[in-house]
Amino acid sequence: MITIDNINNWFIQDFGAITIEQVKSWFIYNPDEKLLFNTGLFLGLFLVFYFVYGFLRKTFYLRLTYVILFSLFFYYKSSGIYFLLLLLSSVVDYGLSQIIYKETKVAAKKIYLVISVILNLGLLGYFKYMNFMIGTYNDMFNGHFKFHDIFLPVGISFYTFQSMSYIIEIYREEIKPTKNYIEYLFFVSFFPQLVAGPIVRAKDFLPQIYQKLNLTKQDVNNALFLIIGGLIKKTVISNYISVNFVDRVFDTPLTYTSFENLMASYGYAIQIYCDFSGYSDMAIGIALLLGFKLPANFRTPYKSTSITDFWRRWHISLSTWLKDFLYISIGGNREGSFAGFLFPSLFFFGLLLWGITSYNTSIIPLIVAFGSILLFCLSFLFSSKRKQTLVTNFNLFTTMLLGGLWHGAGAQFIVWGALHGLALAVHKIFLEFFPSKKDGKSNFLWRFFSILITFHFVVFCWIFFRARDFETALQVINNIGQLTFEPQNWKAIVLGYKNVFLLMLFGYVWHFLPEVITDKMKLVFDNTPLLIKAIILGFVYWIVYATAVAGSQPFIYFQF
Amino acid sequence: MNTKSYFFQSFAIVALAFVAFIGFKQILPDKIFSDSKIDSKNVLIDSLLLESVAKDSLSLKSDSIEESERRLGQQKIVYDASEGIEFPSETFDNYKGYQYLISFYEKLYQLEQNPQRHVRIAYYGDSMTDGDLIVQDVRNNYQDRFGGNGVGFVSITSESAASRGSVKATYSKNWKTQSYLNVKRPASPFGVNGHVFFANDQTNPTWVQYEAGLPKHTTTLDNPTLFYGRSSKRGNVNFIIGKDTLKKSLSPNNLVNTLKVTSGSIKAFKANFIHADSIPIYGFNFDNGIGVHVDNFSQRGNSGLPISMFDASVMQAFDNNLKYDLIVLHYGTNVLNYGTKNYFWYEKGMTKTVNKIKESFPGVSILIVSTADKSTKYDLEMKTDSAVVPLMKAQKKYALETESGFVNLYTLMGGDGSMVKWVDESPAKANKDYTHFNQRGARAIGNLLYSQLNNGYEQYKILRQKRETSVRPKAIRKPKADSVSVEKDSVNE
Repeated sequence: MITIDNINNWFIQDFGAITIEQVKSWFIYNPDEKLLFNTGLFLGLFLVFYFVYGFLRKTFYLRLTYVILFSLFFYYKSSGIYFLLLLLSSVVDYGLSQIIYKETKVAAKKIYLVISVILNLGLLGYFKYMNFMIGTYNDMFNGHFKFHDIFLPVGISFYTFQSMSYIIEIYREEIKPTKNYIEYLFFVSFFPQLVAGPIVRAKDFLPQIYQKLNLTKQDVNNALFLIIGGLIKKTVISNYISVNFVDRVFDTPLTYTSFENLMASYGYAIQIYCDFSGYSDMAIGIALLLGFKLPANFRTPYKSTSITDFWRRWHISLSTWLKDFLYISIGGNREGSFAGFLFPSLFFFGLLLWGITSYNTSIIPLIVAFGSILLFCLSFLFSSKRKQTLVTNFNLFTTMLLGGLWHGAGAQFIVWGALHGLALAVHKIFLEFFPSKKDGKSNFLWRFFSILITFHFVVFCWIFFRARDFETALQVINNIGQLTFEPQNWKAIVLGYKNVFLLMLFGYVWHFLPEVITDKMKLVFDNTPLLIKAIILGFVYWIVYATAVAGSQPFIYFQF
Repeated sequence: MNTKSYFFQSFAIVALAFVAFIGFKQILPDKIFSDSKIDSKNVLIDSLLLESVAKDSLSLKSDSIEESERRLGQQKIVYDASEGIEFPSETFDNYKGYQYLISFYEKLYQLEQNPQRHVRIAYYGDSMTDGDLIVQDVRNNYQDRFGGNGVGFVSITSESAASRGSVKATYSKNWKTQSYLNVKRPASPFGVNGHVFFANDQTNPTWVQYEAGLPKHTTTLDNPTLFYGRSSKRGNVNFIIGKDTLKKSLSPNNLVNTLKVTSGSIKAFKANFIHADSIPIYGFNFDNGIGVHVDNFSQRGNSGLPISMFDASVMQAFDNNLKYDLIVLHYGTNVLNYGTKNYFWYEKGMTKTVNKIKESFPGVSILIVSTADKSTKYDLEMKTDSAVVPLMKAQKKYALETESGFVNLYTLMGGDGSMVKWVDESPAKANKDYTHFNQRGARAIGNLLYSQLNNGYEQYKILRQKRETSVRPKAIRKPKADSVSVEKDSVNE
């Protein structure tokens, strides 16, 4: 007979005795252990949360409040006391949005909008860019300003953009404001997308709040499929190859061979995709389990046939946000504006300055500076609609520069954005000369090379994105430049990092699988019985667990 | 299409999956990725280490060893006076062995009195000191305080040449290199750097080029001097400095020969070796002749054991030219990954190494630097590798037994769990392999190392002062070799 003691023993054997300390640690903020979707703690908390949620599905405010409380707790577990910042900024934004909605005079509306944009960007600017600005100032003018001790609240870039979208859409009269603060807070703090996106637009999300909550079998199938894929991408592929290979090479690129540097660059490309899209997929899946549909954030971006195509497939919620609220605000493809000309001019001026100051040591920076300015100018000088292309390209370049900066405070992110901005401009002029390539109805060989070139350009840009600083990025590129064809040595390296390379291969094969096959897999999954689905999900949990406990690979140095 | 609410089923799937996970955890293995053994053919690791590990098959740790270790830790180490100086006694746990660095400290003292003198340190290490990490910071500290310019002895080629900032070395690909790491019987004996290079190419020029680095004290190449060995054939070398070419011939008559490129300080030069056939080439030395100079002899994958293969007479010839006062042996990283916690074999091997050093550089002081902290994943957490402490203790033992000074890098950097902190800290001080330091961390380690050494020096100066002020001892002293000894039995409760 099974007694309580027996169960207890079994429990202790498998989970260890649970102490008060442990229980406390589940609920108290710990900067070293953030509450990520792929942690056991989240699974446990979510199970309890979801159980109650199911019973509340027919209520409205009770359910909203319940989710808000869980969201705030979730945010507290990630950022500690800064959940108050989220509350504060939501109160201010809600207030301003109400005023804008009620105000009838256009000029006054505009003033309130400007205030809210300044407040939001000011908050983001302080937490994210203050030290970067101080550092840049000190470097340029030999200043001695002290760095501030600033904690970067998790997800601030995401929820700031989200609440800005709400206000701007109200200003543009695209949506009506929520009936009250609770509904607004629910939208801003909704935990699935709170810390890492997708950046949900008010006009997509708000209508769903008011709909009767419904969850179909198909929704659950979609959700589980996304969560399973997301878990594997994020915790198995991304985490393993970063800790065991990519991070090491990017730490000290010069102590590794050219081949290892090249592979680390490819590795980082699949790592960042798996990390980011995996987390997005989990967020979308979890939201779907709660009955909310968030927009897709990634559509196999490395299959892009051009850089323009890439930005329609990579971090879609961000690129559409930037298009709607930044690119169009500064004039889009219609007119130039001060801001639209300011940032590219500043950038090219800085580039020239860099070229001139380092002229004594090397002429290459100056060539790069002149080359990129020339390229940028040619991209509109060759155009038949010169004036329009000029403003479009300036506005696009501004968008990419600021978009780059959004990813992190550092010169390498600006360079990353600039490279993409230049490529977009070049691609546009290319299309003008070869309009037949526009709709992608080209032969296989052409498609193949377009994908290959686009992919390699993106990988090249990722090097700047990943490297600790500009110098490290150049070291990686230099090192790859010295690559020679030595298949025997490559084989030895691949065997030395067998697990890493297998996972990378798995990631890329999965990514490049034709859609027909992934759709088939989905169909098979949809039609399996409930119990099998649970077992599959359980097996994926185990894979996540087993990868997490896998020891890190000891370092190796190769000799050839 | 089922339009009924599916919440219950949805919850059931997630909950059942959790149960399934518990089940899988019971029946499936703990780890998904095998820690496969890597074919060592292409991996840089010294062959003596692999042999020693292979031999060391039976090594079970018993309680009695732990008990005796504990007793050893508390044991008092009392020094006999050397040159009338006696450092206070210390326990094995806190062993630093300043007493055995007296001859080095005395040389430093002489240098401080007379800035025209010189002191030389050879710093042997593994990948931890690659690219002149740590060593450049120790060098910088010494040169800041005692004067001296130059990076010291630099090999012809090195895997880490590209990552070195204190001197920039580029070289042609046709150098033939033999390293003590994996060659047992070199064509000509190894140099002080553990390598020997040959410019045997008959058709293409074999060259090496040096350019001074950016850090303080190393912005010029001072008195560049070529070191090469003995051979039956003669050869030629052309030194290109700016637009000038100096044609010189190599006369390989002695065990170790030197050839000065030029007197004074230059920024860069190139050496073309022509018909140098089988002349063993070792490297170039850069120093301004006064102050402190520190040579970095780092070699990836080295356990320290290969030093025991040095040819003592060749080393003595090097020593006659370079005059070493302190030899640092900084090893351990490469012996951590073999699943063993009994380091008796390593203790034995390294004792041989230290004895070889003593034979090669008579009268030199020796300093052993222990392994740093290194982390491994246990379950879900990165923790100090269980082999770190046993290795550190073994290193301390052979340091004490061979009468060498000792720097405990493991406790110096914070002891248990410190590597995790150094990696996670922002800005980080160590790399994600939880083994190697980055520039920032290496500087911190270099400073810690220097400050311990300097601490000993300051104490030495006080003790020396006391000796001078007390009654002058009799003129006849015991010979040095006898005076340094350890009394292990002094305190035995």
